[in-house]
Amino acid sequence: MISCIEIALKKELRDAEASSLIKKADSYFGINIQEARCINIVTIESDLDLHQLELVKDEIFTNPVTQFSSLKPLDIGFNWCIWVGFRPGVKDNQGATAMEAIQDHLGKIFRSDEGIYTSKRYCLKGDTLIFEDVEKLASELLSNTIIQQFKIFSIKEWDKDIGADVKPAKVILDHIPCFEVVGIESDEKLAKISDERNLALNPRDIPVIREYFLDPKVMETRKEVGLSEPTDVELEYISQARSDHCNHNTFQGIFRYMDASTKEVCIETSLFKTYIQEPTLKLKDKKDWVVSVLWDNAGVGRFDHKNNYVVTGETHNSPSNMEAYGGAITGIVGVYRDPMGTGLGSKLFMGSFGYCVGDVNYNGPLKPPLHPRRLLDGVIEGVKDGGNKSGVPTTFGQTLFNPGYMGKSLVFVTALGIMPSKVKGKPSHEKKTSPGELIIMSGGRVGKDGIHGVTASSESYSENTPAGHVQIGDPYTQKKMHDFLLICRDEGLIPFITDNGGGGLSSSIGESAMISNGCVVWLDKVPLKYEGLDMWEIWISESQERMTIAVKPENLDRYMELSAEHEVESTVIGEYTDTGKLHIKYKDETCAYVDMDLLDKGFPSWEFDAIWLPPETRGLTEPVINSPSDFNTLILKMLERPNISSKEWIIRQYDHEVQGGSVIKPLVGVNHNIPSDASVTRPVLTSEKGLAFSQSLLPWYSKIDAFHMMACTIDEAVRRLMAVGGNFDHIGGLDNFCWPNIQFDFIKNPDGKFKAAQLVRACRALKETCEKYEIPLLSGKDSMYVDGHLEGAFGERIKVSALETIQFSATSVIEDVSKCVSMDPKVAGDLVYVLGETANELGASEFYEIFHRTGLNVPHVDCDKFKVVYKAVQIAIEKGLVASCHAVGRGGLGVHLSYMTMAGGLGLEVHLKGLPMNESRGSLLSETLLFSESAGRFIVTIPKENRSVFEKLFKGMAAGCVGIVTDVHDHLKIFGPDRESVADLSATQLYHAFNKTFGDMI
Amino acid sequence: MKKVKALVLTGFGLNCDSETAHAFELAGACAQKIHINRLVSGKTKLEDFHIIAFGGGFSWGDDHGAGVIQALKLKNHIGHDLLSFVDKGKLIIGICNGFQALVNIGLLPGLDKDYTKRSVSVTFNDCGNFRDQWVHLAANRNSPCVFTKDIKLADYPVRHGEGKFIAQKEVVETLLANDQVVFQYADAKGVQANGSFPLNPNGSLSDIAGICDPTGRVFGLMPHPEAYNHFTNHPDWTRNTQLLKREGKPLDQDMTIGIKLFKNGVDYIKNSFF
Repeated sequence: MISCIEIALKKELRDAEASSLIKKADSYFGINIQEARCINIVTIESDLDLHQLELVKDEIFTNPVTQFSSLKPLDIGFNWCIWVGFRPGVKDNQGATAMEAIQDHLGKIFRSDEGIYTSKRYCLKGDTLIFEDVEKLASELLSNTIIQQFKIFSIKEWDKDIGADVKPAKVILDHIPCFEVVGIESDEKLAKISDERNLALNPRDIPVIREYFLDPKVMETRKEVGLSEPTDVELEYISQARSDHCNHNTFQGIFRYMDASTKEVCIETSLFKTYIQEPTLKLKDKKDWVVSVLWDNAGVGRFDHKNNYVVTGETHNSPSNMEAYGGAITGIVGVYRDPMGTGLGSKLFMGSFGYCVGDVNYNGPLKPPLHPRRLLDGVIEGVKDGGNKSGVPTTFGQTLFNPGYMGKSLVFVTALGIMPSKVKGKPSHEKKTSPGELIIMSGGRVGKDGIHGVTASSESYSENTPAGHVQIGDPYTQKKMHDFLLICRDEGLIPFITDNGGGGLSSSIGESAMISNGCVVWLDKVPLKYEGLDMWEIWISESQERMTIAVKPENLDRYMELSAEHEVESTVIGEYTDTGKLHIKYKDETCAYVDMDLLDKGFPSWEFDAIWLPPETRGLTEPVINSPSDFNTLILKMLERPNISSKEWIIRQYDHEVQGGSVIKPLVGVNHNIPSDASVTRPVLTSEKGLAFSQSLLPWYSKIDAFHMMACTIDEAVRRLMAVGGNFDHIGGLDNFCWPNIQFDFIKNPDGKFKAAQLVRACRALKETCEKYEIPLLSGKDSMYVDGHLEGAFGERIKVSALETIQFSATSVIEDVSKCVSMDPKVAGDLVYVLGETANELGASEFYEIFHRTGLNVPHVDCDKFKVVYKAVQIAIEKGLVASCHAVGRGGLGVHLSYMTMAGGLGLEVHLKGLPMNESRGSLLSETLLFSESAGRFIVTIPKENRSVFEKLFKGMAAGCVGIVTDVHDHLKIFGPDRESVADLSATQLYHAFNKTFGDMI
Repeated sequence: MKKVKALVLTGFGLNCDSETAHAFELAGACAQKIHINRLVSGKTKLEDFHIIAFGGGFSWGDDHGAGVIQALKLKNHIGHDLLSFVDKGKLIIGICNGFQALVNIGLLPGLDKDYTKRSVSVTFNDCGNFRDQWVHLAANRNSPCVFTKDIKLADYPVRHGEGKFIAQKEVVETLLANDQVVFQYADAKGVQANGSFPLNPNGSLSDIAGICDPTGRVFGLMPHPEAYNHFTNHPDWTRNTQLLKREGKPLDQDMTIGIKLFKNGVDYIKNSFF
């Protein structure tokens, strides 16, 4: 029987969701809704009788104080009603918890053909509302047709008894699972199959694959298990393992790099080995705090003598562009599995976000899948639900706007965990699988999720086809699994653990079985969300919230007992062996049987041409702009710019202090609303040590040279760490590359060679900067296709590529958190210093962006010179000489002095004359001094009495006393070389500008 | 020496268990994190403890109302044990999601000694969103609440999407008259917020941030005292430390007002039971 319970808030109560709908309808589309009410609908398909339904309606789904409900459609008036529900197969988290609740409350066990589905209906009142408006709201605000369906009712069409007539959104595949044998008579045949099945096999891999399966010896052993030519399961396995996502073909590829101005050619055999692995391994030998790098799901560094910390970062770009909420929540929940699957498993203790999107007010002709504004809304909400419900504080984050990200926006998610350095006396960062151990899958079930990524989105739908390619993460299921696995770890039950992410079981088992050298997998044992999946689908499905764990047979009972207690589903799905074979069975049939070393069979590297055109040869010059006369308005305009202005509304939606270890928060200052340089957290509450974390994104500099983009980004992340009290001897790095396509194609990607050269140059800067600053790269990832083909005004499609982007994250361990410093000036009378030289480096600056100019003088990083200052900053903070410290970043001193003025709630009087200057790259006028984005700089305030000690410490370095903190006024007063006033702005004016763009958002 | 034993609930998406247990330890108790299913199965007995903490988090994802399914599960399986726990003069504290669970079980407000009736609700914030911010709380000095003894003002963070306290007018009036309203959102000086955002971050009626039962032994609040377990948790600590330094005073590393709240509970048990 199908029953619907409708629940709504009592009329006298404020319906916050409806209010938000009214507000967005007006501000996004200019649609005027006079009144709105939201109704939650729970559709139950079961054998519950009327009495039981009444019982669950009242006891579970209705709050007697705030809500009313009915088993019939609620009689709430409207002009228009919009119903929105999930498509079949989309994860309905609320439906799942509803079943759990009913199961517990009534002792009812749901059969596989029964289920609960949640949906919503919105009752809208408005005299002027027309169907087109309502349809716009339904399709562009309230639902995303990729995962949801909607129905619109006018009051005339509404049947009071039938209501929205909600049917269960259940998946019916009506398919008997099977596998296929694939003919590989010729390369062309296999290439054709690759196309048809979306295998995305590289043409150069095809002969290698054929050679393997046609090898007589291989054929003979396959014959013994009843196989001849490859099966679809096997080809899917190879496709997954050889994908750029799993194999990092770009960074392992060969680049022919040529500098077009000198014609010098250089062959890069592997960017990964040369620029990431080699320097990191050297540093690992030098730095004893580096515990484990470059092989596991995340890197491991020492926190204290008893604990190690774990760090990794991911992007979830493509899915977020299709379904922002689903993509982002899956991204954050997904990256949180990496630390859980590092070593023997770590406890998550913090996360961070980075969003790069197009102009939120864009109203041009291009049609991205989601408007940047809507995309940002969805992404923010996805990370909110994913992060907050995981119980992990989101302590840092940045949001950046640039038109290039309208083609594809970027969603960076970063995760940090902590684990005891030893478990049962053995190092926790080591793990292995051994023959005889059972392969267990714990967590969620398997459906058609994420199979072959977004290509499926173009396929047509029927009523019951699953919309599985876009997923919705389930932090609740994962949190239960997280807690459960940590207990298993501490009891010594886990010799090996890894997560199921890209490639699903194919990757997690395929890779872990290499250690024991073989496995048998029983695919028919894998628990499914619904029946009818083919073997290859079970094998490569990317259904979320799953871990693969090795357990010794003698520990199975205990493992399962704990699993049951925590209500986590765990299933034995195979066994590790040492046969040298990956052996996959379904019941009695073998559907895959290949050598574990198949992937070492000489697959060719990818190859790229890279041609570097130095910026001068591309026609870039410094723009001709005479000095402004109105610096006050200019500074305020800078503060209003989206990339400079307050994003408090995003940060406040994220719990940044759960787990109780918050030391330096993401928002600081007297009013707690200015972005902090870095966050500091105590992951071990009984310790006085802290983990400092910062990130940086400066993609604009790629417009001139990605080498300097990389160097500046790393430098800024490091400076931010130093500003809160970081330890220069312990800086861990994390590189997240997001690059437009670099594979040259005369028609489809004519500037691919240049973008490839930018990548090579960025990697060179990565190595150089990390070596000089002694930063081992604890972890890193790449996302290589940040392009979109957007439909324009005339039906054409235009390729929009993102700026070459790196998000660099940095970690440091602080011995004593009580020494930490925040960026707000604190006491009147303190002296203001600027450390580091200001040069004529306005290239690709925020200042030039105001005038739509790029320029040429991109900031340069002089690591050798800068690091002397950084070490001195560390000493100054450790000795307690400093009252506040802030790294100067985007927008230059003009913007960052404004931040400090607002943060301190005190006045600042600054004389530009006192700045350390460097005229080697051009003249230094007031605007250059205020808006140049030279790297390596800090603004510091110190008590007067520390002046001589402080100046002695910075003797011979670029350090200049530029002014004072005052309580005579709360203005930022800037004076030029002849003591003339350049700018004079009150805190109120600064605040007003800083909050003008996004200040009314909550 | 006999130790006060505190039970901190875990599982099903609860997530403040570690710091809540830590806070109890700092307050002198012996704290154990216990999975809800251990109580359901009877492997762990409530009677072995003096204090139960219903902590923060997203139990059952907060689906179908924050704390609702947790409340139902506990009521169904250990409802009687909870009532006899209260009867024996022991303590229950509910923080954030735990507070939401307590009001849905009916343990709060416990008017007319009815510990099963849902007469108040903690619902969606007026601002329409989840919000993390520190708040100032003014404590009702006439309240029987044992946890807030000698506390006048406290700063704790709130971190919730559903923290708006509502009830029928008469219920709110009764709670105020009974001094069951323990904490109210206020400004830095302790002057009641009067509904002004963001001092009152969620639109709670009468600025109510926390209430207790008539005995003062069952207490629930939206803000997180356990998140103020170390002086560096406070958002102004770098500023305050700098100001103290200028006055030649040492770092203020005394027990935080967060731990003080837990210590009040622990001390109460020591005085009543040992």
